[in-house]
Parts: sequence; structure tokens; C-alpha cells
Amino acid sequence: MNLTIKATKNNTFDAVVVGSGMTGGFAAKELTERGLKVLMIERGREIKHIEGYDTAMKQPWEIEHRGKTTNVSAEERWANSRFWGLGSEEVVNHLTNDKENPYIEKRPFDWIRAYHTGGKSMHWGRQSYRWNKQDFEANAKEGIGIDWPIRYEDLEPWYAHVEKFVGVSGQKEGWDVLPDGHFLPPMPMFAPEVHFKKMMTEKLSRPVTIGRIANLTQPQKVHTDLGRASCQYRSKCARGCPYGGYYSSLSGAIPAAMQTKRLSILHDSIVSEIIYDEQKKRAIGVRVIDQHTHAVTEFFAKIIFLNAGSINTAALMLNSKSNRFQNGFGNDSDQVGRNLMDHQLGSGAMASIDGFEDDYVYGQRPNALYIPRFRNWGNDKQTAYLRGFGYQGGASREGWESGVNADGFGADFKKSLTKPGPWSIRIGGFGEILPNPNNRIYLDSEKKDKWGIPMIVTDAAFVENDWAMRKDIIASAVEMLDTAGFKNVTSYDRPTHMGLGIHDMGTARMGRDPKTSVLNAYNQVHDCKNVFVTDGAAMASSSCVNPSITYMALTARAVDYAVKALKKRES
Amino acid sequence: MLGGAFSAPTLMAMNHWEQATSPTIEGAAFSLSDTHRKIVAEIAEMIIPRTDTPGAKDAGVPAFIEMMLKDCYAQSEHLSFTEGLASMEQVKFLELNEAERRGVLKYLEQQTKEKMKAMPKGTPFWRLMKELTLLGYFTSEAGIKASFDYVQIPGKLENIKLKPNQKAYAY
Repeated sequence: MNLTIKATKNNTFDAVVVGSGMTGGFAAKELTERGLKVLMIERGREIKHIEGYDTAMKQPWEIEHRGKTTNVSAEERWANSRFWGLGSEEVVNHLTNDKENPYIEKRPFDWIRAYHTGGKSMHWGRQSYRWNKQDFEANAKEGIGIDWPIRYEDLEPWYAHVEKFVGVSGQKEGWDVLPDGHFLPPMPMFAPEVHFKKMMTEKLSRPVTIGRIANLTQPQKVHTDLGRASCQYRSKCARGCPYGGYYSSLSGAIPAAMQTKRLSILHDSIVSEIIYDEQKKRAIGVRVIDQHTHAVTEFFAKIIFLNAGSINTAALMLNSKSNRFQNGFGNDSDQVGRNLMDHQLGSGAMASIDGFEDDYVYGQRPNALYIPRFRNWGNDKQTAYLRGFGYQGGASREGWESGVNADGFGADFKKSLTKPGPWSIRIGGFGEILPNPNNRIYLDSEKKDKWGIPMIVTDAAFVENDWAMRKDIIASAVEMLDTAGFKNVTSYDRPTHMGLGIHDMGTARMGRDPKTSVLNAYNQVHDCKNVFVTDGAAMASSSCVNPSITYMALTARAVDYAVKALKKRES
Repeated sequence: MLGGAFSAPTLMAMNHWEQATSPTIEGAAFSLSDTHRKIVAEIAEMIIPRTDTPGAKDAGVPAFIEMMLKDCYAQSEHLSFTEGLASMEQVKFLELNEAERRGVLKYLEQQTKEKMKAMPKGTPFWRLMKELTLLGYFTSEAGIKASFDYVQIPGKLENIKLKPNQKAYAY
């Protein structure tokens, strides 16, 4: 699976893909399956599927600090460890050392990064929801940002294509707000959750469904052909799954691309610049710096896919200056790096649940409930803010951890903690953030990283619309748990910055007009048609649903277009 | 407010406690003296004693607590922990009998609840002892296997009905 390329050998490919994560992996798969010879360039180290997951099969007592972040790790991963538990030994090797890869926070931004094979697809939340029709129309209707150059119908067949390959478990519901897809059987709701769904439907007319998640509940041939097996319900996905039970670039797209024998992967290689040929008026390749030796090599290709992750993709474009693009590659509109979006999270409510004492669960569900957006939807009209939010969460029985805050010690106390505790429930919001040109990243004019590349500056924050929505996320969560008859309903509101949703997007948006957007309807850079951006950077708005499956659908659609265009050009 | 609930030994211990002013410890690299280690071990064993299943000492909890404080906790916690231990030394915890020790811990537990409300800079000693004892024990091999139905690879997900006296699953 590891073909290391000697820099002196033939450095020319049909396509170069920058990044090996969620969209880079999918681009490589789709390109190689259409017959192209592809070089995938990953800036981080190589992690091999299965054998590289060094903590996957560790027992709890083999994790030295038992899930807590050490002081050393917190210092090294100063940004990553702002997210719950990402500094712990279970997963820390799957996250970037921020001390070695610093960025500048003009305004604080929780930038969670994963520089290694598979990128953040290694430990994504796996929640997979199609956007709805309105998500693509809202910008135009409300005069926010710019209109999407595509509609739901353009993406629909590609959603289906991605879902079948990835394997998404879920329940068909027939709701406009959350279009159904091609689903593997749903995971079960637990007894108090069934009650909760019933109460929400009857009393508040708010929909509740089981999470739609990229874990295999019933593997199909397309999955087993790649060596993937059913989810084992260990819920230790973030460590990497030796069964391939959840989809990642490592378990799915990269092995599929490898099967074509047309994919080469270069690790530890930072793409510093896109090489633009002023005569040919197109990009001809990329300049790459070796992480360790700092040696510079150039690779050439007919088409280039940028999938480095929204912020790094924008930074790469801004750093690629030429006579034609003095303001950064493809940046005539001055929109590269701007309109940085995310989803706000960190607020919601929890409650204790009386009853259901006989109900218990065997296995760990790596999934939660999903409550799709109900605000500014249908007849609901909010005056304080635009758009809406969804909730994720669920019920579980408390474990020994409840003893920490309870009174008591000694033999009886010890024994009491070995029994399943009472049920409790928690739901948290994921809120849509609007495109805002003042929320941005840019390159520092003086400071450079150790590879001589200008450092990235984050300059973004929540605005009034976000705060008003956050208030409602909390109030509505309390209302719902109260209405369900749960006890001790308590709200929570963890102070966060933008970025913590790990859904950074929007920094090279698609649009109809080259004056106000960077990419066209096929993710092509307006002014350089052989370069495609299909990671989160392409997004013109953020919806409130988890974005990965939309990024993958955009990627597959763009590849289909790119290869057809290339073949037309060459025939 | 607390008086009625406490037995005579507890009240005695409380007197000792009141006399023990909180000594100030200068911040330094975190390590425990032999006496402090003994106190930590005795308290951990009182939280999770050996019964028909292993106790905190059997599961290696005392050494775990020290390692965790050193590796994962801030200096403010090192301070509050060492202060707590110094106070235990002043009430001569190791010389007290079982009932007196229990009294001291009960008092400490109530006092800690009050302290926690004030959002102290460093998490109080008792709270640290308790969270680290429970974490160390219930995630240790001996603790997990004796306390729970440990299943490393469930392989399926099912709603089930709880049987009488069924232990919790651990994964």
C-alpha cells in the first residue's frame, strides 16, 4: 500500500491530490477508478490501516493515564486539547502537535488538525446527513453571502453514490428537513429515548430520529471487498477501527484507490505552492517540501485537486503567488481565506430520568439521537436569528463515575457502583454559522514556520446571530427535556471559540460570479480551470448538519466533471 | 448544620480538624513523603476497601494517584492535595482508629462540598482523592474484572432487560 516516490524518478502524473483526508481520499478513489494515475500528497506521517492503530485493542488498564490528558500532551497539543479528550493517549497520536505546527490566533480559533494518512476522517463523528433543498436556497432568499451555484438536485445522485460506498446506517423518515438516503439498518434507540421521541412528536411536533452514522450495521459486498466488517459496538472509533467498522479514508477510499494500482502516496510532504504556468495559463504542478529534510521537489499533473482541509487549502492558495495571481492563486475576488464558517457547539441541556430501571443495553452504541432543525422551518419564524440548529445526544445509564460527586465511601459505596446507575439524558446543539467576510484566515506578512512558509493567522469569532441562536439552543433543550417529563433539567454552556465544531469551511467558496467567489459550480477555480477545490473550503454556507458526506458528494461530482473535461480536451 | 448526623468519634475528629490550620506549601516538583504516601493509601483503601473483591491497595491505586497528580494535574492541585495531606498529618490520621478515621473522612466530605461551591483554584484534596481512587480502581484490571461484566468486543448492540443483581457492563 505504500509506494514511496523517489524524487528523481518520473514526477509526472495525471492528477495530484493534496491531502489524504475525507475528501482527498475520495478524490483519489474517484480519479483512479476513472483510469487516472494519481499522486496523493500528505503532509503528515504515514498511518497504516489496522496495523497503525496502536491503541485500538488496548484494554482500559493498558492506557496509562486512563483517558486523561497529561500536562506534557496539553502543552504539545495546545489547540487540539481544547476539544474534549483529544489530548489523551488513546488518540493523541492521531492529532497534530501544535507546538511543532503553530498558528497565530489574532482572534482565538480552536483549530483541530490531524496531519497523517486519512486526516480527520480517522476520528470524525461519522454523523452523515444530506443537506436539504432549503440549505442550498437560503443564501439567495435571505440575501446572505452569495447564492450557491448548485441545488439539491445537482448533488442528489452523488449523495447516493457516496452513501453506498461509505455505508451509512439510519432510519428513513420522509422528512423534507433531513432528506433520506441509502441506509443500512438503523441502530436501536434505547427505552427512554423511545419515550422521548414519542413525547416530542406528540407534544412539540419536533422530529427525533436515530443518528445516521457511517458505521456498518450490515456490511455490503462493496465494503467486505475492501476488508471492512460490521461495527463491533466497542465505541472506540477514534482510536482507529481494526475491523473497518466505520468509514475513514484509510478503511475505504484509499484501499479502493490502491486496488486500481494507479495511486501513489507521498507522506511527510508539505505542498507549499501551486505552480502556475503563465504561458499555458494553467497550473502545471505543485512544489513540495519534505517535512524532515526540507528538500524541495516539484510534481506535475494535468489536474490538481486541493483537499488539504479548508484552512490549509486557503493558505496554500494564498501562498501561491505568480504574475497572474499576485494576490494569491485564484484570488481575484479577494475571497480566499474569507467566510470561514464552522458549527457552534458546546451548549444544550441534561436531565436525570426516573424509571426504566429494568431497561439496559448490551454493547456500546457509537451513535446518538438526532433532532433535525425545527427553527425557521415550516411555520416557525424566529426574529432573533436566521437559520437553525440540530441536536445530537441521547440517554445512557450512569456508571461508576457518578460516585465521584456522590457522598459516601466504603464497602457499600463500592458495591453500589458496580450496578448500572439511573438513566440520564443529554442533548447538545450544532448551530449554523453564516458566511461573513470578516471571519477569515490570512498569512502573516513576516512570521514563517520552520519550512519557510508564512504562518497562518486566524481572525474569526461568533457574531450576534450565533449568540442569539445559542440562547435558543439552550432554552429549547431545557424545554424539550422538561416536556418529556425528565427530572433535574440543567442547561450547560461551555465557553468555546469558532473551530471547536471541527467543521471549518467556506474559505474558497463556490459561486456564480468570479467577482465574489473562488470556485464555479463544479468546484473549479474560476480563473484556472484545471484546479479543483473540493474540501470544506468550497462551501458557500454551512447548514447545521455534519458536513463530511456533502464534501464527499461534491468531490465525486467534481471528479466526474474534471475527468470528462480532460478526456474531451485530449480526444 | 452538620452536627446531628455525626457520631462521637466524628465530633472528636472535627475538633482536631479545627485546630489544624491549612499550612502553606511552597510550589515545587510534585512528590509525596513516605508518611503522605501511607495516608493516601489508607484513605484510598477506606474509599474502596478490600471486601469479597480486591480493594484499592490490591489494585495499585495509591501509586496510580501519585502518578496521575504528577502527570496530569496543575500546580494548584498539587498544592491543595499536599495541603490536605498536611492537615491529615496534623489530625494524626494514621494514629486514629477505624471509627475515628471514618469520622474524619465524613467531615472532610461535607467540608469539601462547601469548598467546591466557592469554586476554589485547586480542586480540594478529598475530591482529588475520590476521583482518582475511583478512576484508578474501576479502570484497573483487578477492579474491572471483579466489579463488572467486562466485555472487550461486544460484537452486537441490543436493548435488554436487567436481571436481578446484574452487574454493569464494562467495555
